[in-house]
Amino acid sequence: MYFQKKRCVAMLLAGGQGSRLKVLTEKTAKPAVPFGGKYRIIDFPLSNCVNSHIDTVGVLTQYQPLELNEYIGNGQPWDLNSSHGGVSVLPPYARSKRSDWYKGTANAIYQNIPFIARYNPDDVLILSGDHIYEMDYAKMLRFHKEKDADLTVAVRPVPMEEASRFGIMNTREDGAIYEFEEKPKKPKSNKASMGIYIFKWEILRKFLEEDEEDPKSENDFGKNIIPNLLNAGHKLYAYEFQGYWKDVGTINSLWEANMDLLGDEPEFNIYGSNGRKIYARNYAMPSAFIAKGSEISDSFVAEGCDIYGTVQHSVISAGCVIGKGAEIHDSVIMPNVVVEAGAQVRHAIVAEDCVIKAGARVGEDQEGSLEQLKISVIGKGKTVAEGEVVAPGDIM
Amino acid sequence: METMGIIFSNIYDSHMGALTEIRTSASIPVGGRYRQIDFILSNMANSAIRHIGIITKYNYQSLMDHLGSCQEWDLQLGSQGVVFLPPYSTGHTGIYRGKLEALQTALPVLRNGNQDYVVLADSNVMASVDFRKVIEHHAASGCDVTVVAKAGLTDGKTVHHFALRVDESGKTVGMGVDYGAPVGDLVGMGMFVISRERLISVIGETVPHGKYHLERDFIMEEFNAGKLSVNVYPFDGVALFNQSVESYFKNNMALLDADIRKGLFHGDVPIYTKVRDEVPTRYGKTAQVANCIVADGCRLSGLVENSVIFREVKVEDGAEVRDSVVMQGCTIEKGASVRYTILDKDVTVKSGTKLLGSPEHPLTIRKGVIV
Repeated sequence: MYFQKKRCVAMLLAGGQGSRLKVLTEKTAKPAVPFGGKYRIIDFPLSNCVNSHIDTVGVLTQYQPLELNEYIGNGQPWDLNSSHGGVSVLPPYARSKRSDWYKGTANAIYQNIPFIARYNPDDVLILSGDHIYEMDYAKMLRFHKEKDADLTVAVRPVPMEEASRFGIMNTREDGAIYEFEEKPKKPKSNKASMGIYIFKWEILRKFLEEDEEDPKSENDFGKNIIPNLLNAGHKLYAYEFQGYWKDVGTINSLWEANMDLLGDEPEFNIYGSNGRKIYARNYAMPSAFIAKGSEISDSFVAEGCDIYGTVQHSVISAGCVIGKGAEIHDSVIMPNVVVEAGAQVRHAIVAEDCVIKAGARVGEDQEGSLEQLKISVIGKGKTVAEGEVVAPGDIM
Repeated sequence: METMGIIFSNIYDSHMGALTEIRTSASIPVGGRYRQIDFILSNMANSAIRHIGIITKYNYQSLMDHLGSCQEWDLQLGSQGVVFLPPYSTGHTGIYRGKLEALQTALPVLRNGNQDYVVLADSNVMASVDFRKVIEHHAASGCDVTVVAKAGLTDGKTVHHFALRVDESGKTVGMGVDYGAPVGDLVGMGMFVISRERLISVIGETVPHGKYHLERDFIMEEFNAGKLSVNVYPFDGVALFNQSVESYFKNNMALLDADIRKGLFHGDVPIYTKVRDEVPTRYGKTAQVANCIVADGCRLSGLVENSVIFREVKVEDGAEVRDSVVMQGCTIEKGASVRYTILDKDVTVKSGTKLLGSPEHPLTIRKGVIV
């Protein structure tokens, strides 16, 4: 088989268990968690690749891969069904002697060196499958080339007082990284790593192979590979990204990122600026039906919904039914949920295929900062019985 | 049994006013996210008909753009899948007058096929038809031709394009073209089954003699002459006929009825359409939306009632839309009001403009106009 040389191959780490998302990732890999009415988290990095003209993407799966495999399919929704490249799902595979799970992020890429090697790229873009953002990787790649960097790390400014929660890049004026500190007590900079890296392929390969030989290594990019490159005196640069970016690793951050889509001037506007769209696998559903007597304000409602009740400041995903007199406030309703007549859902995330029976109450109206909010969560496919009460912050 | 599909995309263009000035009737937007052809094409795809010829005449740019590579229907473009059949213009009949004549252009495809049957279909009826059942019914009848038809639509006054009468046993006893069929007759849905070989010979026998009208010059004439047996497949589901601008408007409004939607869009046999990757619709803080069909990608902040809203429509705070069909990409500015109106794609209704049609005669605003 002939493999065309690629300038850049993207490797998307999608194997994370996402245990902080609790029931939402019990049966679903984190990148496959629904977001924003019709998307899944992985649609964002995949669409960013396509919008950045990167046509070869390896998706590294491990935990609960079935749904993710099905979702990605042949990559057609993202225009990644090309016969020269496209999207390839890369699970850990059994070898003749041993079968290895991915030990860490670096090991996951290490195990797929043969996949990258057949395209013999100049550069490799490493992405994470659990961030919500829209980014032009082509700009970052251009920066990487201009600096002739061995590794470019995307960073974003965070408030200085929060910087000790992140991996911080300390840089010189031209963006060259002289130090990397993981969760520093006394941060010297507010440039937080976004977990997005562009490596020169030959350098990445060398360091992955050396890292694999080191029995003490945790095989992690942040903990091992980046410090090793720095110590070896390689050229590392920080590329500053200014747009919206959110790690949706926790219940509250996932909820908040959904709420960020709302409002007349939303925090995160995904209405395709300059023709850049976020692509998703679409299911053939008719347009939404908004009944007489319903009230919808400050909300997202996707196609395939039937809305009879009240929806305020919420995201209602494709294929949901919100019954008469039902009230949804400040909530994320994932695809194909039925909320029956008179049920109330407030400050909650309801996962796919749930049924909230008539008169049931999930969560309560709340005020306060994001950290204080007690978001109730109903796991995939669950039924909340008639009249049942799910308290704020409860997880079912 | 293998079946080929032939879809006529232009036949009713002349009845659809401004809506077909720039497109085939097959590609008229309908129901928020669909084009008319989505219904018949999805019906065929759901009935395992993979080999489909689409007969076109003119204005088929938008149709080709809509169908793309046909992947949304899980069909493929090309000689083993969906083929476009523009007019057969090497001879003297570049532009056809009717379906029979139009079928000449399909002759090579019909001759190369190996299917037993052909389903011939117009593209202006919205319905969910299982052609596997129709084919079975046809085969069991032993008749030459089967016509899919709907009961309960005739009143003795309304003129129907093609109507048929059956006796108590279901046997066809009479038919008429363009007439006010009496109560009890069935109205043809523009869907026919015939064997592929018979169709090839019919085209050869009729068209050279100046015959061009499928129902009148072939089915009715030969039936009346006792040369053709005609079976009627009584379709008992929802069928909406878009035969005029007025019926098109009425049928869009009919989709606001839950039972009609259920009859067209039941889950196991979806109606497919082109995917456009729009964001879900965002309802503003001031939105007042009631009794509407709303597609993705809209931004609604005004009052919208009893209407069908297509993709990427913007209704500003203080704008009012009632009883209207608003196609993709329209903007209704603050202070504008629209009622009983069909806004074709990309229309802007400026602040202060009032558009008012009537339920029987909706106003139509042409594509791209600023009013």
